Amino acid sequence: MKNSNRSNMCVPLLIPRSYKTSEENKTGSWRFLRPRYLEKTAPCSSVCPVGQDIPRIQMLTVQGSFKEAWELLLSENPFPGTCGRVCFHPCESACNRLEFDEAVAIRMIERFLADTATRYELQPRLNKLAKKGKKVAIIGSGPGGLSAAYFLALLGYSCDVFESSNKPGGMLRWAIPFYRLPLKVLEEEIARIESLGVRIFCNHHVEFEKFKHLRSNYDAIFVSCGYQKGRRLNIPGEESPGVEDGLTFLRELKSDPSSPSLHGSVAVIGGGNTAIDVARSVLRCGAKPVIVYRRRKEDMRAFGEEIKMALDEGVRIEELKSPLKIEKKESGVILTLQKMKVAGIDESGRAAIEPDNTDPEIVSYDRVFVAIGTEPSEPWYVCDSCSGKDIKLYNSVMRFDGQFPVIFGGDLTTEAKTVTNAIASGKEAAMALDVLFRIGKDFVLPEISRCRVGNGLSVSMEIYLNGERKNRVSHVVSYAEINTDYFNLIPRTPQPRLLREERINSFSEIDLKISGSVAMKEAGRCFNCGICNHCDNCYLFCPEIAVKRQDSEEGGLRAINYDYCKGCGLCVVECPRNAMVLEEESA
Amino acid sequence: MELFVPDREFMYSGHVACPGCGAAIAMRFVLKALGEKIIMIIPACCWSIIAGPYPMSTLRVPVLHTAFETGGSVASGIKAALEVRGDHETTVVTWAGDGGTFDIGFQALSGAVERNEDFIYICYDNEAYMNTGIQRSSSTPYGAWTTTTPGQDWKKMRKKNIVEALVAHRIRYAATANIAFPEDLINKVKKAKNMKGSRFIHIFSTCPTGWRVPSEMSIKIARMAVQTNIFPLYEVENGVEYTINYRPKGYLVKEYFKLQGRFSHLTEEDLDQIQEMVEEDWKLLLRKTGVFSGS
Amino acid sequence: MKTVMEGSHAVAEAVKLARVQVISAYPITPQTHIVERLSEYCADGSLDAKFLRVESEHSAMAALIGASSTGVRTFTATSSQGLALMHELLHWASGARLPIVMAEVNRAMAPGWNIWTDQTDSLSQRDTGWVQIYCEDGQEALDRTLQAFKLAESVNLPAMVILDAFFLSHTYEPVDIPDQAKVDEFLPPYEPKFLLDPGNPCAFNQLAPPDVYMEMRFSIQTAMESAIGVLEKIQNDFSEIFDRSYGSIEPVECDDADIILVTSGTVTSTCREVIKKLRSDGEKVGLLKISLFRPFPGEAVRKVLSRTRKVAVVDRNCSFGSGGIFAQEIRSALCNVPDHPLVYGYVAGLGGRDITPELLEDIYWQTKNTDFPELDSFWMGIREVKDGIICSGS
Repeated sequence: MKNSNRSNMCVPLLIPRSYKTSEENKTGSWRFLRPRYLEKTAPCSSVCPVGQDIPRIQMLTVQGSFKEAWELLLSENPFPGTCGRVCFHPCESACNRLEFDEAVAIRMIERFLADTATRYELQPRLNKLAKKGKKVAIIGSGPGGLSAAYFLALLGYSCDVFESSNKPGGMLRWAIPFYRLPLKVLEEEIARIESLGVRIFCNHHVEFEKFKHLRSNYDAIFVSCGYQKGRRLNIPGEESPGVEDGLTFLRELKSDPSSPSLHGSVAVIGGGNTAIDVARSVLRCGAKPVIVYRRRKEDMRAFGEEIKMALDEGVRIEELKSPLKIEKKESGVILTLQKMKVAGIDESGRAAIEPDNTDPEIVSYDRVFVAIGTEPSEPWYVCDSCSGKDIKLYNSVMRFDGQFPVIFGGDLTTEAKTVTNAIASGKEAAMALDVLFRIGKDFVLPEISRCRVGNGLSVSMEIYLNGERKNRVSHVVSYAEINTDYFNLIPRTPQPRLLREERINSFSEIDLKISGSVAMKEAGRCFNCGICNHCDNCYLFCPEIAVKRQDSEEGGLRAINYDYCKGCGLCVVECPRNAMVLEEESA
Repeated sequence: MELFVPDREFMYSGHVACPGCGAAIAMRFVLKALGEKIIMIIPACCWSIIAGPYPMSTLRVPVLHTAFETGGSVASGIKAALEVRGDHETTVVTWAGDGGTFDIGFQALSGAVERNEDFIYICYDNEAYMNTGIQRSSSTPYGAWTTTTPGQDWKKMRKKNIVEALVAHRIRYAATANIAFPEDLINKVKKAKNMKGSRFIHIFSTCPTGWRVPSEMSIKIARMAVQTNIFPLYEVENGVEYTINYRPKGYLVKEYFKLQGRFSHLTEEDLDQIQEMVEEDWKLLLRKTGVFSGS
Repeated sequence: MKTVMEGSHAVAEAVKLARVQVISAYPITPQTHIVERLSEYCADGSLDAKFLRVESEHSAMAALIGASSTGVRTFTATSSQGLALMHELLHWASGARLPIVMAEVNRAMAPGWNIWTDQTDSLSQRDTGWVQIYCEDGQEALDRTLQAFKLAESVNLPAMVILDAFFLSHTYEPVDIPDQAKVDEFLPPYEPKFLLDPGNPCAFNQLAPPDVYMEMRFSIQTAMESAIGVLEKIQNDFSEIFDRSYGSIEPVECDDADIILVTSGTVTSTCREVIKKLRSDGEKVGLLKISLFRPFPGEAVRKVLSRTRKVAVVDRNCSFGSGGIFAQEIRSALCNVPDHPLVYGYVAGLGGRDITPELLEDIYWQTKNTDFPELDSFWMGIREVKDGIICSGS
């Protein structure tokens, strides 16, 4: 502006007045730390033998997307209705919410989802790949074998399952009592597996020697015939009439519920789930069961819940008593028991016992059932680490001689002998075979490792098939990493059950169903550790308004506008579930 | 966790607040609650700078930046002018820091409230004169370090209770709010918007720079202030009716103080004494609400 | 309508005629009669305006800054301490280019408390960017208030209309109150060039860094300078409508004067009589009345004063460490004129001490009888005092 002739100039009125937004100021340049969405693994998923995406299942349940949640369950486990009743739920022991108030009732919700699907006769959308033209023979139609069949069928393989007994299901059918697992539930889940094209041949006993002929008709064999044989006490009088194997009793009971006529006092020797199942079944048949166990109650291998319910129903437990001999009487048997005492703790954390100084007890019983454990009926699998042919996976073992793969799974190879571990081994076997056939033996271990969930022994089929879940890192979120400011103390929904009097009179299922609103409320207690559940805290608290509600490239449900993000880190800290991470800005 | 927070933004990105600034978060929430039919007065405070230099403005509403102590008086003039022009809908909002509210601006605020001027006065409180470099104000809490209360000369006067001072005027509505409780804050602002007469909202806004805390802790610390009863959430209508809006978890004050560098010089005895002072104040507040505390 | 009224009430009449919309004021003697009369007008509805009874002068000006920014015509009045309290915001009002009009009743600055007339208060604010017009009588007070609105709204600068305490504010004089219709013709409704509007949101008065601030200040300076010409035009328009003429300065018998007295405010009336008397005694003396002080009408002043030999400036004020302020301004205006007259400065009448015709004559004779002004400002009528703390070493 010129200075001359100023008084006649028309100089515009110039005041401080804005006419631009501040958006041209890209404050992202201030950053030296950068937040991003990074989904991690929840502890429940990590310990779940089948690696279920539990936080996501809870999230979908809360949203009312029951079908989608159920389909998610089915993508990792063909037996949600079964596991929702009989799984030992390690997820609930690892649940981060346990440290806050009480663990989420994850198993109850799994059952709810399966039962809801059944009730509404829903058809799941399963990720079924095209046929690959190979055939797999599966020995044993227990949870391991059927799971392998299911996943192999989904991956595109033809499966034939050979079952020695007259109906499929293995332990699920023959060992677990109806009051825990109704027949209808099991049969429906088996039917779903068959609907994928899996053929089950019952009454088809395959012996160890004889399976060599399967090699010519199939491209692979999966062996999961389980631990069928009851272990023997190896004490005198074990062969007496009136003394039976506990598992056999359960099997007979399943075949013909009216059959056993029990009365009087019945001893059940053993401390595992089978012993408990036998005792509670005996009770329902009208007799009085007494569990005789050589260690302490707290050392029993059975699930704590089961022991509690057994006691509640009136089963008596005689602890620290070891049987010395059995003698026959006219009606019934006489059991000679030695009282034991604790002499320390062994490596497994259980009491080491030795006889105490009292004289043995003599007790009469009408019947005795032995349930001290099981073993395989034939030496199917012997660990052979020296030959180099065995590839040891998390729950199964693949034996490949360069020509023909045989995979061992189920109780034969899993560390923990549970239904869910058996199912996991079936899934793992299916994946291993698929890798072997598609790319080769050297890739089996790396691929299985790639699909590992967290730091546990489970693998995820979703990750294997390159689903969204592959973007999650294996870091397991701990309680300290949860921002509990956003949660209120809410007691866990108790499992509704039949009353004691109602329970002991029949084999009706004890646990009752829950309603949708109860399920949603309980699922709402889940912290959703490590995943984004669109709570929008990041969006809400960003001072720069730099969080956008849209899908991000990293797979979360929000995106950060790095033009403006100053790296303050509020989003990361206020994310209640640790689904984000703050990293140094790369130069 | 579902929060009802309106979607529209009335603020642009690109403002120059420090990373993690509580005042920026507070403004964002308040504008969401107020909408765009407002005129905002900003006396000298951090937001005078945050809003951006000429020719930019980070706010989508009309703003008049004014001198430090004029928050209450300029608002009175604007409201009068609007009435004269026949506009009875536009809300007049003063947005001031603690300096311009508790200290230099107190006279104008008190005068405006005494006249029951029809406006909303919002004080975002970062507990010191932050804009000029962290000097002590009457809103600085007992025990705090500031550049004018350094070393052993830490502030040994209690924080002035501005809400009580205004309640003494029988102000139509006065409330405390906190950036870590967005739903409560937004509800209060909306409630205030639908009233007439003088309305005052006191928002607790963390200042990571001045309180010597990491920027990512702004919300956590603000929340702690409520959970420890140091900054209770309550409202007062017509100077007589007290309502406590949130029953805090009752954490010990030392949990709050430990997180902040500006309190790092306090000893255990000091903290115990402060705990007593906080409990005393909380009991007094309960009495005013007509609730007797058993503990 | 011709009537007899106080200077204060004349100002209030002007404010009512100007249809001011928002008034905000804090009482201080001797401004109180202005705001009390306006209160009555607002209460009885004869003036449709909002009256804010703020709690201090600072808030009064702040409220007007808010109101004016929202697009309404505004007014306040104050005096000495109150004006000083407003000081920060006087800068603000001009910086924000708001056409606020204020009646300023010249009163002495404390301590000691002194409610009588003295110009130091308004002149201390001469750097704040406000137009300053000094009034001689009640009629001028009314007329200048009307002109001030028009001027302020044309150039977007605030304006103060200045009255002597008591001698003007509380003195009853004949005043002709103009018709509302004629005033409406002279002064149409206020049309703001910018305002706070939710329909067109923007921010005002935000941070202005070095690279933009200076141009904003230049804009103020040029507006001020243009105000001289704009006021001329307004004065002409006024004269056409109301048949009363004013100038930014008024020379009286200056054409052939050897000595010209320069006055402002009510002293001018007294001085007119003194000039008449001296002239009748054969002295070649003239009087220059200064009305417009900011912007300072240097051109016009130079035109009148350059031809004379001596100028005697009567200052009812003092800038300590320097001297009478009108005298400084006159000297500045003349210093580059070749052969400019000598300027004698006189400080008189502070704190309401009477400036009598005799005192003015003394000023004349002293000026005539000294060849050269020895002091920048000669304090008239200083008495011996016996009180006072003796300072050692002074």
